[in-house]
Amino acid sequence: MLLDIHQYKINIDKTFQENYQLYHDAYHKRPGNVSLRVLPPCDVSFYEKIDLTKYDFEKDIEQYTTDLLGLLDQSYQARKTLDDNMIPTVFPILGIGDYSAFLAGDIIFKPDTSWGEHVLKEIDDWKKLPPYGSTKWYRLFMMITERLIQKSAKQGIPYMRGFFSPLDLAHALRGEDIYYDFYDEPEKLHELLDYCATMTIRFAEDIYRLVDKYGKDTTYGTWYTRKQINMSEDIACMISGDTYREFCRPHTQRVVNHFGSGYMHCHSRAMYLVKEICDMDHIVHLWLATDPNQPRPIDHVAKLVNDAQGAVMAIDCDTFAEIEKNYEAMKKGNFSICLPVKSVEEGEMVIQRFRQLEATHR
Amino acid sequence: MLLEEISLLLQKGKAKEVKSLVQQALDEGVQPADILNEGLIKGMSIIGGKFRNNEVFVPEVLVAARAMNFGLEILRPALVRDGNKAKGKALICTVHGDLHDIGKNLVKMMIEGQGIEVIDLGVDVAPEVIAEAIQEHHPDLLCLSALLTTTMMNQKVIIDYLKKAGIRDQVKILVGGAPVTEQFARDIGADAYAADAASASELALAYCR
Repeated sequence: MLLDIHQYKINIDKTFQENYQLYHDAYHKRPGNVSLRVLPPCDVSFYEKIDLTKYDFEKDIEQYTTDLLGLLDQSYQARKTLDDNMIPTVFPILGIGDYSAFLAGDIIFKPDTSWGEHVLKEIDDWKKLPPYGSTKWYRLFMMITERLIQKSAKQGIPYMRGFFSPLDLAHALRGEDIYYDFYDEPEKLHELLDYCATMTIRFAEDIYRLVDKYGKDTTYGTWYTRKQINMSEDIACMISGDTYREFCRPHTQRVVNHFGSGYMHCHSRAMYLVKEICDMDHIVHLWLATDPNQPRPIDHVAKLVNDAQGAVMAIDCDTFAEIEKNYEAMKKGNFSICLPVKSVEEGEMVIQRFRQLEATHR
Repeated sequence: MLLEEISLLLQKGKAKEVKSLVQQALDEGVQPADILNEGLIKGMSIIGGKFRNNEVFVPEVLVAARAMNFGLEILRPALVRDGNKAKGKALICTVHGDLHDIGKNLVKMMIEGQGIEVIDLGVDVAPEVIAEAIQEHHPDLLCLSALLTTTMMNQKVIIDYLKKAGIRDQVKILVGGAPVTEQFARDIGADAYAADAASASELALAYCR
């Protein structure tokens, strides 16, 4: 169903090489890289096309994985002429409910996303959760994962999976009461976050083991699961830098250290947290999604260069002129910049201009 | 001095201390309305301003609001006895399709902090439920929250439903949530947009006057 990865992108080996250079430099805190991702509609349309409410995952895994891979195939075929930094990957789309339901609770599916259940009425109820690996959604998620990898590894397409950070996972399990826990139960909150860090490590290792099983003999199959972990720090947007440092950083750092490097995600609402997150050891990437009504990261490049300390800042912008205007400043750090375009054709033109821009600054 | 202390302790989220000082103020003969306005509401307004300026964050607002409620628990019978009424009534909910409630809860607490009665319809609330609640409670204000770009459109669905039901003009409608903008609020026919909980509470007070 999926094609060999070389058929999804012209010059895919060069794309891998450029990405390798970018993250190798970031790991060693060497600045000087600006990389481009264009975002045509086909890059996101599969999120709208897959209706999560139509599957009974106890019996529809084959259909679900077929549908999902079909949509990814359409997307990658549509953008195969784009010589940007995007690497085709395979990943499950189950909303966000599965990010915590592997530990406990059910997933509430809506057509375009999902939620997990808040299962911890009391902060130390995590001690009463089912043993790791015994829940319905752990079993189903691993079955889905294995089937996706079986259908894609031979084609050399890397499998990608992000995780909740310990704080995001704790919030998903505990709900909004966690905000009171910072004040009412600080020690117990640390225990919960420690538990979440341990469970994230175990879950990621189980998934990575499956990726290795099918992908280790392929050129790029294990690209996103080797010595790295990809985590969101969304809930950190709701707390101060001091609180982040005290409660979250030690646990997130433990997960990053276990795997070797951290690819993080947060929002521009938390621009003040960039320094806190990138201050951790071995952070090589921070995707700072632009929020409506909040400062735009592209308008704060100098601050980001300073705060990121060499980590790749993945940010977006609205126009190519913004890339041109900020190119010199971005070269003082490492950036992966994403520009939405209306069509693949427009994307091709933008990439051509970007390559010219690169050449003039070499 | 006592009222200032109530305000300060509320800002620090010291619920038990606020409760005890409110009782002390009542025992000393301070007017209940003064305790409310100069102690509790003042403290909550300061927290709201700091929240807007990123000086405090969600946990600090929540514990402050909890402290306010502890104080109100003691104060409410005295307020009722003196004939003090809520400054107005608001309905609040997160729109259908959306289960996020932290933004709604923050707005609810800040509006309550202005002395307005708030009826919380919860999350994932359908237009029919809102229409029924308007007819039952006759609120001054309806606050609609949505966190997702996919669910913000349901704010429009609700407003259209209320128009069709002929009750749109019975309430002012305030919309908010991370992806919502001033322009969007205008486009869908809301009365106002609030960028944060503090702004929402100020608008709510203006609409309830």
